[in-house]
Amino acid sequence: MTTSRGDAADDRYLLIQAGEDQCVLPLARVRRIVRDLQVTPLAGATQELKGLAEFGGEPLPVLDFSRLIGATPGANPAYPVTVIAWAGPAESRELVGLQVDAAVEVVTIKADAVVPGGEGIVRGDVSLRDRPVRVISLSALGAGG
Amino acid sequence: MKDERVLLLRRDGHLWGVVHDAVRTVTRGRDGYRIWLRRRDLAADDVLGVIENMHVWPAGGALTRFWGEKARGLAVHESTPLVVVDPDSPPAIFGSDAATETSDGHDDQPSH
Repeated sequence: MTTSRGDAADDRYLLIQAGEDQCVLPLARVRRIVRDLQVTPLAGATQELKGLAEFGGEPLPVLDFSRLIGATPGANPAYPVTVIAWAGPAESRELVGLQVDAAVEVVTIKADAVVPGGEGIVRGDVSLRDRPVRVISLSALGAGG
Repeated sequence: MKDERVLLLRRDGHLWGVVHDAVRTVTRGRDGYRIWLRRRDLAADDVLGVIENMHVWPAGGALTRFWGEKARGLAVHESTPLVVVDPDSPPAIFGSDAATETSDGHDDQPSH
């Protein structure tokens, strides 16, 4: 799936499964979803950084999304899906890979439905079909985020 | 992105790069290679050669935040991603414990 690279306000999100949690990523930040991306481990990396991958001829840091948000790992955390997305502030954004359990569907969430809160890259929460879903801000993912 | 001349190394099973401008000489020892830089030296298991005009991307915030080492940048060689190390602050994995010179003197190789 390919989407716009823009960071413009949008109410469309990609719903993903990360461990036992469900989260939504701004769809405008998502560039592609790939399966079985080969990742090269990097010596000295924290648990959040799974390693490096090659995507379209470019090097790409790949992150364990469940660890980023502190989600409880699922029963079989194989992370077969990598969401390739723009992270960081708009003026210095970078492509990263986010390993998740599944990319579920594209959903529409109105801004006023989001309850602000959370830490780090979690911007808030929203109820989707009576299930709590964490709303992620990828602009907060970076050196200082 | 910047094109650089990069010396490719293998260390601990992984591919790494160091910009060639920073390399003073390369010596071969019993257990590997030693790459002598301006201020530091690197121990390497193997030296693969020099790549001209290698595309080096700046290390972004995600790498900086979650790796804990300094990097000059990232690159790809034959579909394998790699870190181009900061020659002034190489990662700990390049510690000098492995590459020791032979007891009968230096088995020096000419600088690449």
